[in-house]
Amino acid sequence: MGKFSSLSFYFIQSITNPASFQAERINRVFNSFNIAAAAMLLLVTFLVIFISVKYREKIGDDTEPKQVSGNNVLEAFMIGVPTLLLAYFFYQTIVIEKAIAPGVDKSQQPDVIITGHEWWWEVEYPGSNVITANEVHLPVGKHLLLELRSADVIHDWWVPQLGNKMDLIPKITNHLWLDINMPGDYIGACSEFCGAQHAWMRIKVIAQTERDFNNWLASNTSNGQSPLDSLALTGEKLFQEKTCGSCHRVQGTNATAMVGPDLTHLGSRQEILTGLMKNNQENLFKWINHPQDIKPGAHMPDFILDKDSVAAIAHYLTQLK
Amino acid sequence: MENKTMMKLVVGTEGMFFVALIMAFIYMAYNSGFEPYEVSQLDIKTTGLFTLVLFSSSFTFWMAEKKYKNGDIKSLKIWLIITILFGAIFLFGQGEEYVRLINENITLSGSVFGTSFYALTGFHGLHVFIGLIILLIILILVFLGDFNNSSSNVISTVGIYWHFVDIVWMFVFTVVYVLPKFTKI
Amino acid sequence: MQEIVEIPEPSSSFPGLGVSSDQGLLQWISSVDHKMIGIMYLFVSLLFFVIGGAEALLMRIQLALPMMHFLGPETYNQFFTMHGTTMIFFVAMPAIFGFAVYFVPLMIGANEMAFPRMNAFSLWITLFGGLLLYFSFLAGGAPDAGWFNYAPLNQKNYSSNPGIDYYAMGLLISGIGSVTTSINLVVTILHMRIKNMKLNRLPLFVWMVLVNSFLLLAAFPSLNAALAMLLMDRQFHAHFFNTTNGGSALLWQHLFWIFGHPEVYIVILPPFGILSEVFPVFSRKPIFGYSFIAASSVGIALLAFGVWAHHMFAVGLGNTVDSFFSASSMLIGIPTGVKIFNWLATMYGGKIKFTVSMMFAIAFLIEFTIGGLTGIAFSIVPIDWQLTDTYYVVAHLHYVFIGGTIFGLLAGLFYWFPKMTGRMLDEKSGRWFFWLFVIGFNATFLVQHMLGILGMPRRVYTYPDIPWYGVLNFISTAGAFLMGISMLLLLRIIYKSAKQGKIAGDNPWDAYTLEWTASSPPALKNFDELPEVTGTRPLWDWKHPDKADK
Repeated sequence: MGKFSSLSFYFIQSITNPASFQAERINRVFNSFNIAAAAMLLLVTFLVIFISVKYREKIGDDTEPKQVSGNNVLEAFMIGVPTLLLAYFFYQTIVIEKAIAPGVDKSQQPDVIITGHEWWWEVEYPGSNVITANEVHLPVGKHLLLELRSADVIHDWWVPQLGNKMDLIPKITNHLWLDINMPGDYIGACSEFCGAQHAWMRIKVIAQTERDFNNWLASNTSNGQSPLDSLALTGEKLFQEKTCGSCHRVQGTNATAMVGPDLTHLGSRQEILTGLMKNNQENLFKWINHPQDIKPGAHMPDFILDKDSVAAIAHYLTQLK
Repeated sequence: MENKTMMKLVVGTEGMFFVALIMAFIYMAYNSGFEPYEVSQLDIKTTGLFTLVLFSSSFTFWMAEKKYKNGDIKSLKIWLIITILFGAIFLFGQGEEYVRLINENITLSGSVFGTSFYALTGFHGLHVFIGLIILLIILILVFLGDFNNSSSNVISTVGIYWHFVDIVWMFVFTVVYVLPKFTKI
Repeated sequence: MQEIVEIPEPSSSFPGLGVSSDQGLLQWISSVDHKMIGIMYLFVSLLFFVIGGAEALLMRIQLALPMMHFLGPETYNQFFTMHGTTMIFFVAMPAIFGFAVYFVPLMIGANEMAFPRMNAFSLWITLFGGLLLYFSFLAGGAPDAGWFNYAPLNQKNYSSNPGIDYYAMGLLISGIGSVTTSINLVVTILHMRIKNMKLNRLPLFVWMVLVNSFLLLAAFPSLNAALAMLLMDRQFHAHFFNTTNGGSALLWQHLFWIFGHPEVYIVILPPFGILSEVFPVFSRKPIFGYSFIAASSVGIALLAFGVWAHHMFAVGLGNTVDSFFSASSMLIGIPTGVKIFNWLATMYGGKIKFTVSMMFAIAFLIEFTIGGLTGIAFSIVPIDWQLTDTYYVVAHLHYVFIGGTIFGLLAGLFYWFPKMTGRMLDEKSGRWFFWLFVIGFNATFLVQHMLGILGMPRRVYTYPDIPWYGVLNFISTAGAFLMGISMLLLLRIIYKSAKQGKIAGDNPWDAYTLEWTASSPPALKNFDELPEVTGTRPLWDWKHPDKADK
């Protein structure tokens, strides 16, 4: 890890605080770029101040200065030095591109498939039947291949501490390599403008040790939790009756649609609405009650439900762990 | 001189416009792909004939210019009328082709090929149409006697545009009609 | 000793010439005089600058604190789209055209543009394009997909209000105006120069306008084609960019940026030209490296067409393509950046007069260096992969557009205002304006680099309370308001100076180029006759025949 990254910021989320091999490589070239850029800026600032002071017009001096209109040696120097600097950074560009974004063999199975929707992330783990949304669990210390797709407009996957971003483009499949160094929660956001709620299309990557990750994956293969009490039972009934299932999926029930986020293990997520709110019954109530007040423009319509029904559905959903 | 420089710049910038359209056509062909059946509906022979008519109109216009330079206003009129006729015949051919394709259910909103085809050839047709209007105005002015005993560069300026329209068609024709015969799109 | 050159009358298509001079507004509306049109262009620019600035301030209020509810997402998205579109197409370009059509004929010793009526046509159609764009607010909603309006978000199924149709039509119409002005400028410069003003004696501003006009003629068609296709998509259900029925999301990006990146140079080259006039005059020296500046602008114009995909590094075009565009982008940075040292060398050894114009020029050197360096960051692909589409970009582009274009234009305004009005633009309050504007500008945008590094994407209408986000955004908002106040001050200075400023005289700066031989403001017929031009600084040569430039 570059020395500068630990010195420059103590922030939680910053590209200068890398947590993956990819982010680290980028941070290193970013540091050397910053040094070169700072030197350039200092040079220009120094010259501006020095020349402005030294050659300012002095009162009473009405001579014309020496009329110099060029100097070939100086001009060659002015062109040569920046060219050499840029050549260095071009070399770095090629080396790092190769290191962090090597080509992808089409036949290789990705570790996770992420699909961008207006305005949430669908997450699939090929090889298991696990489907989740918005909170992406990934193992640490593995050479991961992410497959990125879009269901509607262009989105962009970006978690600053994990390195390079990549667009999710309709009809195109993109890939990203990722080697996470340290367990932890990493936040990010969609970085290509994608419509009304682009601001609330945030990402959370939960990086776990391989064992924790495998445990999580295993626990998420199960069907949705059956209701534990009568209120939840009412909620489940309402959920099926009130057409929630025409967009959402709860594994093991009749709700199988994949238009909106999968809810099979909704209760075990930390947040709802891609980072907009903490995941608790109260917030779920607010959301189901009047989605358009909470996240205007979102594709979840306002259902006209009485408060008791909303409460029952919210209660049912929190039990889906 | 100003007029001619102006027209050369117009033609240059319009040329870039067609470069963009042609690139888009090729991009759509390779990226989204055309329906081979739809491409096969293009009749290269008939359109080829109309293409020859359009190219001839460049020659007839060149004759018109030459006659005008010699002060032969009567021949100028004749060659101008022939040029306009040739241009109109080309447009008629294009219209006929459109009708035939639309009857085959190939429309602007129907498929990627339809979109690309009508946009590219349509914009070219529009340019021919504008050229015809300009030529008509010139013809009327010639009949009104504006070009008698004068040495105006208006006709040669318009000529730059008219030849440009023909040259563009050469590229459009090649890309739309000829190349698909040799490549698999 | 010197040959006197007579300047031909403006062409016979000049209806205002015989008419008695004061007809008020009608005279402005019907005018084909390049000076009146130039001033009207500047007013169009000012009008839209106020509107675009107000939009920016409203956005900054919304972003001042985390989770604000001042503007809803729809309004916010319309505002940032309109802000960007307005500032590029209806502020920067009209301002540039304003100075160009006003001063190009004066600087080359001509009495008119080559096509005076086309000149008027260009102005009005540009204005109408802008008005049409703004009519969208009344017609059901402004465009809301950003100024570069990516597909397929720009399609009816994702943006159903008519805003984007107005965007396409407004830009097409004003685009016609831009193209015709450029044609007009090229023909004027190629054909109407005073005798002996060879191309290598052109004032650098005219050089830049010439190169710029060619650049524009080559770049705009790509945008126009894309806009026409977009309209076909939205109005006639064509399939170009609609990914749900076979269209391509990336074709738009290619077409847009083939226009879009040259456009960046289109709005920076003429300000470079202005600065290349201002630095020599206020340093009392010739420009350092005339040939390099002139030739490198040609280089920039050519390279500008080979860099577009550096806007698309995150698209996944592959390392080969990315590397190519990385190299070309770095390459274009060289002729652009080296000019900073040309201007520094011009100042070196001179006798620098700190007029407000010169202060903006000097401040430009530092601000544009910042914008240029962050630009280089984006040409380094891995860094771009981290920082593209974040606030780092927002900071970068504002350092280029404001620190570059606007600073250059303001230097030009203070420099040429005396010529245009006959009165000095008040220097004393001008200094106040300068400092307020510079401090406000840097407060607004310097912190945005940080926000980008901390992971804040651009174009978000609000953000969660992540450490530092609130503070940095608040500073940025405060800076924006400082800029807003400084702009009000500028409006006041312009108004007061035009009414009762100090009388300027023909050549208040003891400047070097031909426009300063005309009266201030110039008569309808700019010149009757002029001495022969022998170099790039004719007025210097006439004053110091013994020390004339070679």
